[in-house]
Amino acid sequence: MNLLEVQNLKVHFPVRKGFLSRSKEFVRAVDGVTFLIAHGETVGLVGESGCGKSTLSRAIVRLINPTQGKILFEGDDIAVMSNSEMRKRRRRLQMIFQDPYGSLNPRMTVGDAIGEGLDIHRLTPGQGERQQRIAQLLKNVGLDSSHAGRFPHEFSGGQRQRIGIARALAVEPSLIICDEPVSALDVSVQAQIINLLHDLQHKFGIAYLFVAHDIAVVEHISHRILVMYLGRIVESGDARTVCRSPKHPYTQALISAVPVLDPDSKGQRIILGGDVPSPIHPPGGCPFHPRCPVAEPRCKTEVPHLREITPGHQAACHLAT
Amino acid sequence: MPLLEIKNLNLEFTHRGHAVQALQDVSLSIEPGETLCLVGESGSGKSITGLSIARLVPTPPARYVSGQILIEGRDTLQMSEKEIRKVRGGVVSYVFQDPGASLNPVFRIGSQIKEVLTLHRPNDANNAEVIRLLKLVGIPAPESRFHNYPHEMSGGMQQRAMIAMAIASRPKLLVADEPTTALDVTIQAQIVELLRDLKRELGMAILLITHNLGVVGDIADRVAVMYAGQIVETAPSRQLLKLPLHPYTRALMNSVPKLGSQAERLTAIPGNVPQLGSFPSGCRFHPRCAQAKDDCQKTSPELVEGGSNSQRLVRCPYWSADAHPDEGSGPVPSPQQGA
Repeated sequence: MNLLEVQNLKVHFPVRKGFLSRSKEFVRAVDGVTFLIAHGETVGLVGESGCGKSTLSRAIVRLINPTQGKILFEGDDIAVMSNSEMRKRRRRLQMIFQDPYGSLNPRMTVGDAIGEGLDIHRLTPGQGERQQRIAQLLKNVGLDSSHAGRFPHEFSGGQRQRIGIARALAVEPSLIICDEPVSALDVSVQAQIINLLHDLQHKFGIAYLFVAHDIAVVEHISHRILVMYLGRIVESGDARTVCRSPKHPYTQALISAVPVLDPDSKGQRIILGGDVPSPIHPPGGCPFHPRCPVAEPRCKTEVPHLREITPGHQAACHLAT
Repeated sequence: MPLLEIKNLNLEFTHRGHAVQALQDVSLSIEPGETLCLVGESGSGKSITGLSIARLVPTPPARYVSGQILIEGRDTLQMSEKEIRKVRGGVVSYVFQDPGASLNPVFRIGSQIKEVLTLHRPNDANNAEVIRLLKLVGIPAPESRFHNYPHEMSGGMQQRAMIAMAIASRPKLLVADEPTTALDVTIQAQIVELLRDLKRELGMAILLITHNLGVVGDIADRVAVMYAGQIVETAPSRQLLKLPLHPYTRALMNSVPKLGSQAERLTAIPGNVPQLGSFPSGCRFHPRCAQAKDDCQKTSPELVEGGSNSQRLVRCPYWSADAHPDEGSGPVPSPQQGA
């Protein structure tokens, strides 16, 4: 059985056009996404801002209620669960956020921030046990147990992200949704956090959904990659394969946007023009066609569906071979 | 004559009655039309250096202890308030990391740009010139964007508008402080390309401040690497990327995730940048340095010439012994000490 099975998930937000207006439009933030995560696996989710990757990850934890579709987590559909059931289930399903400054309560000590989850799920009956567990969690993420009495402002960005990870680990989850956990950090600290997540996976067998906009970071940590554009998956497959032979022009552009250190390896840069289009009025046909360097006339009219190009490697592009 | 010359700049902050050193003996120069990248982690002093050029660091708490900042031969540290206001925005202009926070949310983009023109080029302060600038920075449909408020634009568009504002006064030096950090990789590539085009078209010099060495190869002529308030290495960018001499530069390069690398783990730099006021003794990088020797914690290294090439300076006495071009990474440090 797969740990997480997302089936045809849709999240639409209504936008009202004016006061008392009845004709509603919808932002199709997530528009029919299907994927799996196995136990102990890391799936990377890449895309630009506005492609719906944060909405998708929030919907999986049900911080946002999905409009349609199924989210089977450990066999049960959490999309239709009652709130009290969901609350219990969140013990197995945790999240780490992008902004390590905004995601910790500034008036709570680090120990209490980590211990909050332990209290809610009544995991540590005695005070002594609770303290021990917090000390151990801090050690697991590379912090010192003496840090438990301090406040978030005393820590650097990288250290705060470690605290966020300890907080998620406290309740022994089987899946952690990591929403851009390293985007706000220095490159040198990014590497520390990615290594930490990698080590924790080996130690505890946790699965990750790792969301980021930098495909080089995602390739490093993921077993499989999903590339998202305007609420849909446009390419998916094994991390190495997707990065070595990307099939969708969007993935190709993402890869060529990664800065290269070697001054001699100047491959042809594909620089995408413009921004991600509005998800209220997505372009007809292939949603990527206005920015696509190789678009053909049929791309404007026919919607491409995700299809298998080579075994295990799928892309949603008419021209992919 | 260089456009900008910073000579032995020392700057300290007063914190609870104590003076803490933030910049030590920082020297830099930028020729007209040249692009210099200033690279380092958060807290290394690179932004303070950039802000010092137009004397934008508030004094107090800061205090310029010694040194000179010469723009076209004139020392900004000695200028009167009236003179420095001509330099700010006029000769040197700035683009900051977070465009959303740098733009005024209650004014339209067009009028914010026009304000710069009114101050620095009053004869050209008209809508047509603003639209020309918006077009120059690659904003589509500039006539309608003119009337937009900042919140109506995406992050990439806001950053373009910031750049339009910065170049409106025809500055000789553009200081771009992490202009791409808050943006998506695809938009980062667009902005770097825009800066490169503008530099060619307008012939201005750029000081690009970044923590990501990956940007360097795309735009920089020369690079200066900063650590804990000191310059630790300067070199022409190609040479630096080919063969970094300082262990810190090497560590920074190794921590950039590369596509297609087979390595299981990234080579992180253990620990954190030291806090102001608690810089380690001797070489400031020694607690995090994989190649540190015993005397590194005792003697502070000087900036020395890196080899026969007089364009390269490095603050490590062991640079030649440790520079292995093909190996590069050195021993893998034990993971996450402390941080």
